[in-house]
Amino acid sequence: MNRQVVHGTDAAFHSKRSRFRGRSFKEAIEFYLFISPWFIVFIVLGLIPLLYGLYLSFTNYAGFNMDRLVFVGLDNYRKVFTDNDAMYSLGRTLFFTVIMVPSTIILGFLLAVLLNQNIKRIGIYRTLFFIPSIIPVVAVGTMWRSLFVDDGIVNKMLEALGLEAVDWLGYDYAIYPLIIMLLWGVGGGILIYLAGLKGVSKDLYEAAAIDGATTIQRFVKITIPLVTPVLFFQFIMSIISSLQIFVQPILLAANSNSLLSTPLRPNYVYSVHAFQQIFAYGRFGYGLALLWVLFVMILILTIVVFTTSRFWVFYEVDQEGK
Amino acid sequence: MKRSWWTACLSVLVISSLLLMSACGGGNGANSPGNNGGSDAADRESKDTAKSGEQVVIRHTMYDTEFTSELVAEFEKTHPNIKVEIVSADYNKLMAMMAAGNGPDIIRTNSVTELPGFVLKGMAMDLTENFQASKVFDIEDFLPVVNQFKYDIASGKHGEGAIYGFPKDWSPDYTIYYNKKLFEEAGVPFPSSTEAMTWQELVELANKLTVKNGKKTTQYGLAYYNSTIAANQDLLNLQLLQQGSSMFSTDFSQAELDKPGTKDLLNFWVDTAKSGIGPSPLQQETDWGGQLFVDNKAAIIIAGYWFSGFLKTNELTKDRLDDFGVAPAPVVEGGKRISPTGAGTGAIIYKNTKHPKEAWEVFEWFFGAEPAVERAKAGYGLPGTKTLTEMLPQESAFDKMNYDFIQNELQYTDGSLPYNPYLNYQAVNSIIDKYFTPVYFDKDTVDGAVQKMTEELNTLITEGKQLVSP
Repeated sequence: MNRQVVHGTDAAFHSKRSRFRGRSFKEAIEFYLFISPWFIVFIVLGLIPLLYGLYLSFTNYAGFNMDRLVFVGLDNYRKVFTDNDAMYSLGRTLFFTVIMVPSTIILGFLLAVLLNQNIKRIGIYRTLFFIPSIIPVVAVGTMWRSLFVDDGIVNKMLEALGLEAVDWLGYDYAIYPLIIMLLWGVGGGILIYLAGLKGVSKDLYEAAAIDGATTIQRFVKITIPLVTPVLFFQFIMSIISSLQIFVQPILLAANSNSLLSTPLRPNYVYSVHAFQQIFAYGRFGYGLALLWVLFVMILILTIVVFTTSRFWVFYEVDQEGK
Repeated sequence: MKRSWWTACLSVLVISSLLLMSACGGGNGANSPGNNGGSDAADRESKDTAKSGEQVVIRHTMYDTEFTSELVAEFEKTHPNIKVEIVSADYNKLMAMMAAGNGPDIIRTNSVTELPGFVLKGMAMDLTENFQASKVFDIEDFLPVVNQFKYDIASGKHGEGAIYGFPKDWSPDYTIYYNKKLFEEAGVPFPSSTEAMTWQELVELANKLTVKNGKKTTQYGLAYYNSTIAANQDLLNLQLLQQGSSMFSTDFSQAELDKPGTKDLLNFWVDTAKSGIGPSPLQQETDWGGQLFVDNKAAIIIAGYWFSGFLKTNELTKDRLDDFGVAPAPVVEGGKRISPTGAGTGAIIYKNTKHPKEAWEVFEWFFGAEPAVERAKAGYGLPGTKTLTEMLPQESAFDKMNYDFIQNELQYTDGSLPYNPYLNYQAVNSIIDKYFTPVYFDKDTVDGAVQKMTEELNTLITEGKQLVSP
């Protein structure tokens, strides 16, 4: 049946361009037919809902008024930039991004370098450091929350050391448990870093050692440049994930009993604001506008990082010829 | 050339996806009982299907622990023309079903916080005539709590006008249960079971029952089942109702949090939270109030009659029920003693149901016939009628204590908590949490928070009003 489709479509082109009869055309058609199951699912369950969401962001959709939607133009987008809370939460998100991106990359990379050593039972350490990233985030949040509550282990340890207990989940300290909790999952990147590190040829180190390069020189001049593609990938991914921080602040919120719990102001991030606008306030149109603005911001940041990559990312294979 | 390739490939994909979609669409159109896209004529036609003796499916959103499979089987045995199906739907799913014109026939409804909004959104069927004509329900026998299912669209008054539903069970949710052992340890006399304390007296009492080890509280004087001991809309609404006031203007079109009485209450909760007598944003707990109470970590809990059922079944309390006492809901100094329900959960019938007759049959049976009797006898909540109230359990000393207490407290249960019908319950919670929590940490003032909350509430009220206006 596929063949018929191919022939049928092919026939339409016969009269115009005979070179389509070539092998490459058939190969291309077969390629697209093979990926079409994924592509169709993507269109139906991905693209169409996304575009529908985009459409709804220009309406007053509130969850129940589908039968009498009013087109409000750019009103929701105007609100995003005039809503003090949206701007405040964006500021908080950028604050966490600025902290999380460098820390996760540096810590994750250094951890991977350590775990790249040829020592006995290194697999155990690799597993241990990777485990946090396979634990469901809700379990992680609940665990950290119970560690940081007033009579939690963290305060008990401080007291055992003769120090004063700290109100970790209170207003003044709220950002620290969040940062610690987010950094706890830093081992998630080691798989990718390790793959990058393993890809660096031993010959280069040997040659450098013969030339008298120190360990630090070898690390800076060989290791780092050769894993820049991996660092670049991790850089982009951590920007995206930091801008999308959502459930962790909620899990640390006072009276945290549902996804609608409100984090304290220092942890009130953009995604939480958007989620609340949609599911607590019932402002679906506005919430969707908030999320599209976030999407555009992520897109712009990613493009910026991509553009700068030519100056600092080193590819062993020529990229122009692809 | 490349572009033509793309065009060709995309055409194939678009056509295939369209085919896929139309296949799904076709399925929906043929099978889904609730597709409401059709005309009135089509609706009428489908409403008439029941008369031909075909089996009709009635979908409801009651929980399966409430409308159990045993009850469904019992109902279907005597009503072979009706099949009862459960649809689990949270608020957002329910709204999506409404938007698609595919609402369930019977909708579980919190009469206090949800009913006015559901009526304004055009979801609820007026059941006044059904109740009047019913042989199962007797309007004269209704307790005041049933008024929570009344809403007058013209005047915007909750508790008056047409009736849209009926409670499954309910409690005056702001009564207090206390742990006698902890009172004895503190050398504090038990509160009266008939005379209400003022809120101030309750806080002072709780203060005596709070045990601290250095800065840390090891035993709270007071807990609240639904939230913390801090400003929240439920407790504020109760106090405002007792004051004869509200957070909003009489027509609910404006937030009025800056009234002196309201500000006094907000200050009262700031002081109470700071005093450390209960869990609050300043003293966060991982457990809910009920758990703290059964663990002997809270001496008093604000909770309704249903809490007696919880104590009777909880492993930590079922064998020591004599340790617990019950007292009336506190009252605002100089205010009216009102001990209303905080939820009054029951159901409404979907306004656009295709089978109003059969939906009512199910509704009438579940809320008025045998299941209602069984619920009253079990005593996990109060029934909606005076007759059924007589059937509440009285066998054990604990049951008798609760029974006697509730007979007295029932005199004060008439009153509607002033929730705003144009606002989502959850939105008000979020606004208070967001802007008022910094006040406990001295990061904002009551006035500052009031201003921010008022602004945001007013924006939402304006939008909410526009959404439900015809």
